[in-house]
Amino acid sequence: MGTFLMIIISAVFINNFILVQFLGICPFLGVSKQTNNAFGMGMAVTLVMTITCLITYPIYEYVLTPLGLQYLEIIVFIFVIASLVQMIERAIKKFSPSLYNAMGVYLPLITTNCAVLGVAELVIDKAQIMSLLGIKAMNLGVAVGYGFFAGLGFTLAIVLMSGLRIKIDKLNINPSLKGFPITMIAASFMAMAFYVFNLIA
Amino acid sequence: MIYLMNAPIQWGKVGMVLGIIAGLAVLFGLLILIVTKVCHIEEDEKVAAILEHLAGANCGGCGHSGCAGFAECLACGKACISDCKVTSDEEKQIICQIAGIEMSNDEPTVSVVRCSGGNEAVDKFDYVGYEDCLSQTVIMGGDKLCTFSCLGGGSCSNVCPIGAIKVNDNGVAFVDKTICTSCGACINKCPRMVIERIPAKAPIYVACNSKCKAKEVMNSCKVGCIGCGLCARSCPNGAITMVDNLPVIDYDKCTGCMTCVNKCPRHIIKVH
Repeated sequence: MGTFLMIIISAVFINNFILVQFLGICPFLGVSKQTNNAFGMGMAVTLVMTITCLITYPIYEYVLTPLGLQYLEIIVFIFVIASLVQMIERAIKKFSPSLYNAMGVYLPLITTNCAVLGVAELVIDKAQIMSLLGIKAMNLGVAVGYGFFAGLGFTLAIVLMSGLRIKIDKLNINPSLKGFPITMIAASFMAMAFYVFNLIA
Repeated sequence: MIYLMNAPIQWGKVGMVLGIIAGLAVLFGLLILIVTKVCHIEEDEKVAAILEHLAGANCGGCGHSGCAGFAECLACGKACISDCKVTSDEEKQIICQIAGIEMSNDEPTVSVVRCSGGNEAVDKFDYVGYEDCLSQTVIMGGDKLCTFSCLGGGSCSNVCPIGAIKVNDNGVAFVDKTICTSCGACINKCPRMVIERIPAKAPIYVACNSKCKAKEVMNSCKVGCIGCGLCARSCPNGAITMVDNLPVIDYDKCTGCMTCVNKCPRHIIKVH
């Protein structure tokens, strides 16, 4: 239970993928104009992150490590993520058209999303993740849990950002700051706010 | 670096790496192929063909979610081609052939803002807050005393896909009829429902939407219609009738003689 709680706090707040680790900034700025789109993107990322952890962790642990080929991790993970996203997209299109309409357009964007590759890289870095979570042994369950809650942290950040942007769009802002610049400034303040969790930890 | 160059190449390891990568490529290639075969869905060729000929403005004026949604509804006969005001007539003809529906010959229309109040209309209070019209309407129905007026917040000009509608110096939205394609995006957006379609060839329009009686209009706006009916009485062709204290113009009868424009004491019948 303690580990579970620690995974949530660590993945969602202390090491929030967008606002603390600065991974996955592209969808964070690109798909955060409307709240429902942002939520769809967040859910798609959560799904892909969870399944990615579920597959890449065993591949690294039981295939690459025994063969002494750890340096192949990045190329293998990109293979896995890209083909996984393709398969998920086609499966969703077949079995749930309504979910495809809500999520489908964002799935191809995730193929090259660095947050997904980031979570795959993080969960195999045993020393770091064990010190982050304060646990002594690493297993598949922790890896998948971390992937899931990292996705939820991503969703939290992108949904917060979309809410902010809707409000900002209604304000009368200096033309030189209108649009993208003010969004970047708002994002920097959000990142500072999330950094406080790091100090507490 | 020198060490690396002098070191013998471990062919066994290179082979293993290449084998793993090639193996993964083949494995995932096959998996994607299988998933694609299993999850194959028949896509309607009609929809794609229709979508190709639509204007692609994605203005949402037809009431569907973008051009793709409209194309789907056209293909299965749920939508009417004349709902789209942006696509040109030649393209529409092609779409009708593809979808197997009949083309209706609607006259081209344009949007027009039926208000000339703006700064001339009396304010209820000083509004400070978000600029857009929807936010303004939330607070006591907007800051204008007249409940039919344009608020001048510019929600319509923000939503217009081609920039045909702008808020002018007087604080009223104004449509440039040479640009407007009558897509209806502004009509759907306006919280005061002050924008409406009129035929593109219409010589005149009524620039007031107030259904109030004369006294209320006098108190709330310097340029509102007081419903005197002078226009209806003076029209030589009988094209104007009074409905709810407002003149309604029958554009089939109107010849553009400008009698009403000259007679109107409030100057709210305007040359289009």
